Amino acid sequence: MDFVCNFPFFSIILAMFCGILSSVLKGPWAKRLCLFMVTAVLVMSSAVLAYTMKTGTSYTYSMGHFPAPWGNEIRAGVLEALTATGFSVIMLLSLLGGMSHIFTDVEETKTNLFFILVDLLMSSLLALIYTNDLFTAYVFVEINTIAACGLIMIKQDGHGIVAAIRYMVMSLLGSGMFLISLSMLYDITGHLLMEPAKEAVGAIVASGSYEVPLLVVIALMSVGLAIKSGLYPFHSWIPETYGYATPAASAILSSLVSKGYIFLLIKVFYRVLGYENVVSSKVINALFVFGLVGMIVGSVKAIKQTDTRKMIAYSSVAQIGYIYMGIGLGTKAGMAAAVFHIFTHAATKSLLFISAVGLYEVSDGKADYRSLRGSGYRNRAAGIAFAVGALSMVGFPMLSGFISKLMFATAAVQSPHKMVATILGLAVSTILNAIYFLRLVISIYSPAEREYGADMSHQASRKLKVASLLFIIVNLVLGLFSQPIVNAIDAGLSMFV
Amino acid sequence: MNQLLLVAPVLLPIAGGILMLMIPEKEARVHPIFTELIVLASSAMIWAVLFTGREQGNGAVLFSMAGNLKVFFRMDGMGAVFSGLVSVLWPLATLYAFEYMEGDRRGREFFAFYTMTYGVTLGIALSGNLVTLYLFYELLTLVTFPLVLHDRTKEAIRASRKYLYYSIGGAAFAFIGLVFVLIYGSTADFTLGGVLNKGVPGFDTNVILFMYVLAFFGFGVKAALFPVHSWLPSVSVAPTPVTALLHAVAVVKSGAFAILRLTYFSYGADFLKGTWAHYVVLGAVLVTIVYGSTMAVKEVHFKRRLAYSTISNLSYVLLGAVMMSAAGMAAALSHLVFHAFMKICSFFCAGAVMHQAGRNYVYELDGIGKKMPVTLACFTIAGLSLTGIPLFAGFISKWNIAQAAVGLGGIPGFLAAGVLLYSALMTGIYMMTVVVRAYFPKEGYDETALDGVKEPGWRMLTPIVIFAAVILFFGLYSRPLFHFLQQTAGGSGI
Amino acid sequence: MEQDFLLLLPIFFPMAAGILTLALAKAKMGRKAKLTVVFGALVLELLFTILCLMRGDVSVTLWQLTDTIRISFHVDTISRIFAGLSVSVWLLVGCFAFSYMSHEEHEERFFGFYLIVEGALTALSFADNMVGFYVFFEVMTFTSLPLVLHEMTKPAIMAGLKYLFYSVAGAFMALFGIFFLAGYGAIGSFQAGGILDASATAGHEGLLLASAFMMIIGFGTKAGMFPMHGWLPTAHPEAPAPASAVLSGVITKMGVLAVIRVVYYVIGPDILRRTWVQTVWMILTLTTIFLGSMMAYKEKIMKKRLAYSTVSQVSYILFGLSLLHPAAFIGAIAHVIFHSLVKNTLFLGAGAIIYKTGKTKVAELRGIGKEMPVTIWCFTLVSITLVGIPPTSGFVSKWYLATGALSSGTGVFSWLGPVILLISALLTAGYLLPVTIHGFFPGADYDYGSLEKREPSALMTVPMILMTMGAVALGMFPGVILNAASAAAELLF
Repeated sequence: MDFVCNFPFFSIILAMFCGILSSVLKGPWAKRLCLFMVTAVLVMSSAVLAYTMKTGTSYTYSMGHFPAPWGNEIRAGVLEALTATGFSVIMLLSLLGGMSHIFTDVEETKTNLFFILVDLLMSSLLALIYTNDLFTAYVFVEINTIAACGLIMIKQDGHGIVAAIRYMVMSLLGSGMFLISLSMLYDITGHLLMEPAKEAVGAIVASGSYEVPLLVVIALMSVGLAIKSGLYPFHSWIPETYGYATPAASAILSSLVSKGYIFLLIKVFYRVLGYENVVSSKVINALFVFGLVGMIVGSVKAIKQTDTRKMIAYSSVAQIGYIYMGIGLGTKAGMAAAVFHIFTHAATKSLLFISAVGLYEVSDGKADYRSLRGSGYRNRAAGIAFAVGALSMVGFPMLSGFISKLMFATAAVQSPHKMVATILGLAVSTILNAIYFLRLVISIYSPAEREYGADMSHQASRKLKVASLLFIIVNLVLGLFSQPIVNAIDAGLSMFV
Repeated sequence: MNQLLLVAPVLLPIAGGILMLMIPEKEARVHPIFTELIVLASSAMIWAVLFTGREQGNGAVLFSMAGNLKVFFRMDGMGAVFSGLVSVLWPLATLYAFEYMEGDRRGREFFAFYTMTYGVTLGIALSGNLVTLYLFYELLTLVTFPLVLHDRTKEAIRASRKYLYYSIGGAAFAFIGLVFVLIYGSTADFTLGGVLNKGVPGFDTNVILFMYVLAFFGFGVKAALFPVHSWLPSVSVAPTPVTALLHAVAVVKSGAFAILRLTYFSYGADFLKGTWAHYVVLGAVLVTIVYGSTMAVKEVHFKRRLAYSTISNLSYVLLGAVMMSAAGMAAALSHLVFHAFMKICSFFCAGAVMHQAGRNYVYELDGIGKKMPVTLACFTIAGLSLTGIPLFAGFISKWNIAQAAVGLGGIPGFLAAGVLLYSALMTGIYMMTVVVRAYFPKEGYDETALDGVKEPGWRMLTPIVIFAAVILFFGLYSRPLFHFLQQTAGGSGI
Repeated sequence: MEQDFLLLLPIFFPMAAGILTLALAKAKMGRKAKLTVVFGALVLELLFTILCLMRGDVSVTLWQLTDTIRISFHVDTISRIFAGLSVSVWLLVGCFAFSYMSHEEHEERFFGFYLIVEGALTALSFADNMVGFYVFFEVMTFTSLPLVLHEMTKPAIMAGLKYLFYSVAGAFMALFGIFFLAGYGAIGSFQAGGILDASATAGHEGLLLASAFMMIIGFGTKAGMFPMHGWLPTAHPEAPAPASAVLSGVITKMGVLAVIRVVYYVIGPDILRRTWVQTVWMILTLTTIFLGSMMAYKEKIMKKRLAYSTVSQVSYILFGLSLLHPAAFIGAIAHVIFHSLVKNTLFLGAGAIIYKTGKTKVAELRGIGKEMPVTIWCFTLVSITLVGIPPTSGFVSKWYLATGALSSGTGVFSWLGPVILLISALLTAGYLLPVTIHGFFPGADYDYGSLEKREPSALMTVPMILMTMGAVALGMFPGVILNAASAAAELLF
């Protein structure tokens, strides 16, 4: 086994270890450690990606050397490595962009706590990506939940607490369902490791026994993770959570945390339950319908918001809907589109959150439409970044959103029964997206209601500008040079089977 | 070299426009010169390709987004017509803009986006496949919307918002058409006669037709097709050079151009002819013509009236297009060219009146013909031409469209010809009332109110006169051009 | 075909002269000098035209507009009749106008457009194919518009716009027909008896008839045919008197010319005979004749009354044409000339009265015959002509129309037509003769004390006298016209 194969394990452990270490460090040092950790993970994940691309196969890696069926395994294939790489890039940029706000929003004594939570979150996300057994998955789902709650609360104002409680309740509900389905699965198969579990499921389906329990497992698994990732109609926690957390946290939560669960769901579908079984169980149609409704409802609600943070948060509801719709198409092309959209959305939404903050900075920290007028001139980098993000969401060619839209549409054409609904859904949702995002773009370039002094434009932090520009580049790369990534996704999905 | 000549005219104005945003605001005198230089350079390149190397040009791939999503330029007959058209109009319109925009606070921004729009429009004209077309179509929305927003008044903001929503919404539907061509077409490159491949599994004629209709209406947004037209009258709040060049020519013609591409080069006229989709789009076009010209009669705001006129005239182009025949396509292209000159001329005249006399409404124009004789004479020429009076260019294209309609035959042909003439009558009404008022003010109008009003300067007047001359020229001598268009429509013009 | 470029002279010379006159508006020349230019142009034009008309059947192609559309000219019998009529009338009315227009402003504009329209009329008479005809038809509409608008009062402008819109609408209806018939060869050179490609039209008779109908209605607009007559009673009276005269007397005839060209030289009378088109057309013309006379009878204002009379009289001509019968055709052609002379005289007379007294209503004209005897004598004589009392010319044309109708074999119309003509003649007498009667016999209570001689200058009376003489004399010696008309008819039937 090559040395590179250790990297997935190393990155999980490194992240966790950094979290522990940070508890005795002061804020700035914790920050440095955290940034170092994310960079290291990025490097390691890229190495794994290169390795798996080169070998063209995946490999499993058992932690702690317990033999199956009890062991804790991780598995690394192209898709896992790609996701890990993408996530660490986004994580790094989000932290960079939101950095100055972390130190203003969070009490000085607690800044190191923020980074502990980020470290833990990173480690749990990596674990969700790489895991090859369901129990590990569950453990890290919980760690993830706790870390996320901490991030939401850390701003310590009334909104934060309320949001965190909401998130906690919904999230635990989801975890609970996940746990129940896990137990049932264990009950009927006797396995927690993915490969043997899948074999057992295959045998059950072939024999025709346990049809109902299997259906329940699929349903609970889907619903549980759907709740956690905020699929309509379980989205009620999203706006508050994303809307009021500190910017870095909003960006991370919206672009990474929910995506981790979706990734896990896809992995479970393929690696445990068997994708054919899921497709034939019709649960997938429910996901499709809710995804589609989510796309529309999320956007409609976003239109109604005057607070831009909430607007962006509602837009997430819509985007999650896209992803579930892709999964719900029940074809490989649909799945590939969904995975690609995970990246698109992660890259775009964090860009939006970060650049929006850049705009608030020069508008007395206010986030409503009126106050933001003219902010595009006061902070040019953030203005342009926001416009790019908005256009990407609308599906403007050359940006990432266009490619995912194209992939969704192409996938839809290949599944005749869902074609018309999907295509019209895409079209309508594009228009709705245009309405709320471009309305905001126009208003940040319309004349301000009052004169802002010259000093306003100096309030914008440089790191934020740099992060914005980097995000734009990520978006352009996804939009212009998508072919290698799409190929990698296809290869990764094939490895899942 | 040839490949470079295809790519450069598109990229140069775009890059130049971005560069211009970097020139300090204070250097106000530099902007126009810079703009004109870039515009002329691009036009020169287009002409170079037009006159020298069009035949050998195999096209140029700029880059590839993914798989078959190539950004690909080529100048075939249609591209030659459209790029030739805009490359003539743009330098002149820019000249007009210099005088019109003098002293404007946001001149730099204006010229920057104005220049970029040129590149993007050329991109549409030269695009060699539907993907490229779609890309530049979206870009066009993006670079023109700051121009609508230009004044930053409440009205302008509202109009630009409407413009964006409509355009993006339209593009969303056009996108669907694109996807279907990508999947069911043998290639995305434009091929006269269509690229649909019935051998692709899952090919369902009705579904494809439905998607064509969606895409037709999608691109139809830019071409101001009823019921998705209402952005066009609203955006007349923009400065006149914008309304004239963009919302009477570049933007709206891009919509019509895209529909022609979609119909004749992607889905294929033979595939569509006689299907229900054919009649749906034909119906929409006819309704638009009637609606546009009727509303123009009702409208008393000068520029908005012209905007409604644009709505109906664009549908003339589309009417030619939906004849689904070579004759129809040639007719559509001829009206595409002629209407550009007629409408830009009349808009520039309206702009000159607004600029010199501050009159915005038709009922305020009494006696203006005495003070601005050249402008109004040119306006009269444009008006007569729009009405379709013989010896002016408009007659030629209407004749062609009507002949194509007759060729279609049956009730649709009858209806089409009838609608054409109804609209011509309405055009006569809404254009001639202006002319009559300007030259024959009612007794007792206040002559002193127009004191001090005089003809605009040479930079505004030159384009107006040139356009009027072109209208007359084509009215009398359009045969070589029309032969070229027929060749293009017949497929041998590549 | 041999090119005879001389034909272009009578078309473009007056246009050039007109543009020159327009340009003279700013020139510091005396009124007399300017009018001399105009007069010279009118005389020269008359000479040029006569010169061309004497050259036999010649043609010239001016320009190939598109691959199928050619603008070319050709002289035939019909051209001679219409061109000869229009240029002569133009000169006479022009002379009248020299005097009349002295109390109007913007004379240069009036005479400028007056000359340009003359060129357009000649072009129409000479036009060799349908599209070329249509081209100059539009030119005529747009250049005659300033004549209607001339006074620039609110009613004049509204009337001008009404004129414009009706004309354009009519022209477009005609164009509709041209669009459809173009494919059957209808845009080739005119030929007596029709030029449609019979093999191409086979199976498309419905379309053909509908197109023909649209063209008749469309061109009939200019001739004031019901239902598109509405502009005429509004527009003609609003123009200055000389303009009203030529509008009613000549320009309406161009609508007639158009119908002749369409029916007899493009489609061919045989195709239309005994079809619904002929029937509807006859009904429309008869309706127009009757309605026009009735309205004229009821009308109080002099010039409006004359305008309604035009509506009615021009439909005599159209009725004659609609019968598709040689005798009726001859009658129609004759009536074109007679009515033109008569109506010009009537309008000039009304103009002279307005010029001298400012009176516009019929009721105000008591005793006018005592004040302006020459004018009212002319008025009276042409009124009698119009009523159709022998031996005046009106009788000749109506005789041909009536006999044509009776022998046309159109069923009920063959007797209904003459009946309506008769009723209309009575009404004509009813609306025209009171002017004469009250003019010469104002009654016992008339205040002869205030009477003063107001006869206008020779410049005004001479044209009236000449035209009156023409109208009466042609009734007694109608041979020239009848021969020409029957020569044309022979080719047609």
